[in-house]
Amino acid sequence: MGGSPGGPVDKNQHEVEDWERLADAITTALDGKGIKTTDEHRRAQESLPPEEYRSLSYYERWVAATEKLLVEKGILTTEEIDERSDEILRRWGGS
Amino acid sequence: MSDHHPHEEAATMSPYAARIRAIEALLLERGILTEPEVQDRISYMESRSPANGAKLVARAWVDEDFKERLLSDGKAAASELGIDPTHPAEFVVVENTPEVHNLIVCTLCSCYPRAILGRPPDWYKSFNYRSRAVREPRAVMREFGFEPSEDVEVIVHDSTADVRYMVLPMRPEGTENLSEEELAELVTRDSLVGVSVPRYAGS
Amino acid sequence: MTFRPGDRVRVRSAEKPGHVRTPGYLKGKPGWVESVIGEYPNPEELAYGFSGFPERPLYKVGFRQKDLWEDYDGPADDCLYADVYEHWLESGETT
Repeated sequence: MGGSPGGPVDKNQHEVEDWERLADAITTALDGKGIKTTDEHRRAQESLPPEEYRSLSYYERWVAATEKLLVEKGILTTEEIDERSDEILRRWGGS
Repeated sequence: MSDHHPHEEAATMSPYAARIRAIEALLLERGILTEPEVQDRISYMESRSPANGAKLVARAWVDEDFKERLLSDGKAAASELGIDPTHPAEFVVVENTPEVHNLIVCTLCSCYPRAILGRPPDWYKSFNYRSRAVREPRAVMREFGFEPSEDVEVIVHDSTADVRYMVLPMRPEGTENLSEEELAELVTRDSLVGVSVPRYAGS
Repeated sequence: MTFRPGDRVRVRSAEKPGHVRTPGYLKGKPGWVESVIGEYPNPEELAYGFSGFPERPLYKVGFRQKDLWEDYDGPADDCLYADVYEHWLESGETT
């Protein structure tokens, strides 16, 4: 990324959302407990397909990387995360 | 906190908002994380802000000995002012002088002295900043309204490894009579990254 | 610790698969050791869940902007510092 051409720097700031705070907290709490490292998290982000890396927001990338590591380490499965997040989306949609 | 602000969440509709809630619920159920651990991390980040950096800078401006300590051991100097610098990475402060202007970037990800300044601003994480700050730092600073003269050496710090950097800007002229608190108010977050400098319009 | 402050160095141009903490734009570029930062677990191994031991020396390395970018649009004194692990450096005194 360093040195690639780019356009003007957009100085707009979005308001941090609760799920972003949570993504930050869970990711760093897992580091704190020695379940994963920052370096693994970076590697997991870098291993996202390039178009995904570019299209996701900062904390979306964090969530994707944290999920990938939890699955890789056998702590959670993609299926159960899928199932649980579908449930949550249904609850939000229905409220 | 899984049931907070459901309407807000529905409005943003990032599928990742639901995914992180799902991950949280599962980790709590399995006892991998506890609710207090998650809350502690949230409060940790909430207690960090650019005001901490401003406090360090203002003290350095009024106290030469403190400045030396800040430049030689950033974490110890932060602790002295009651700022908890706990973080696995090192914290290094680099000084602007009439001859040298420093600019911080992380091209590989978005490393930032979070333990002191909190979450980085969106622009710092943007691909345009990460790409261009190393190659055309002067053009980037111009976009932030700052243009160091040609006889000032611009040093870009790419935080590639275990060190997080913060800039100690120069004290603006005409601020001799300001208190430490008033000085701290001049120190903007952008000036702690080096894309601009603190300004003083006068009384 | 192979290098000392002031030593001329060059960043290795090797392509290494996987997670790397040396930015691509520095590969093959000449610079100097500005200071020795310390020794840290190797992030390129931490990234895959290994211990990162033995620790690797980390140096703050300086580069002239004009050596990094042919078309650098600024004064000749402008430079860039990056933190580079020893295994990414070779002596710059080569012919």
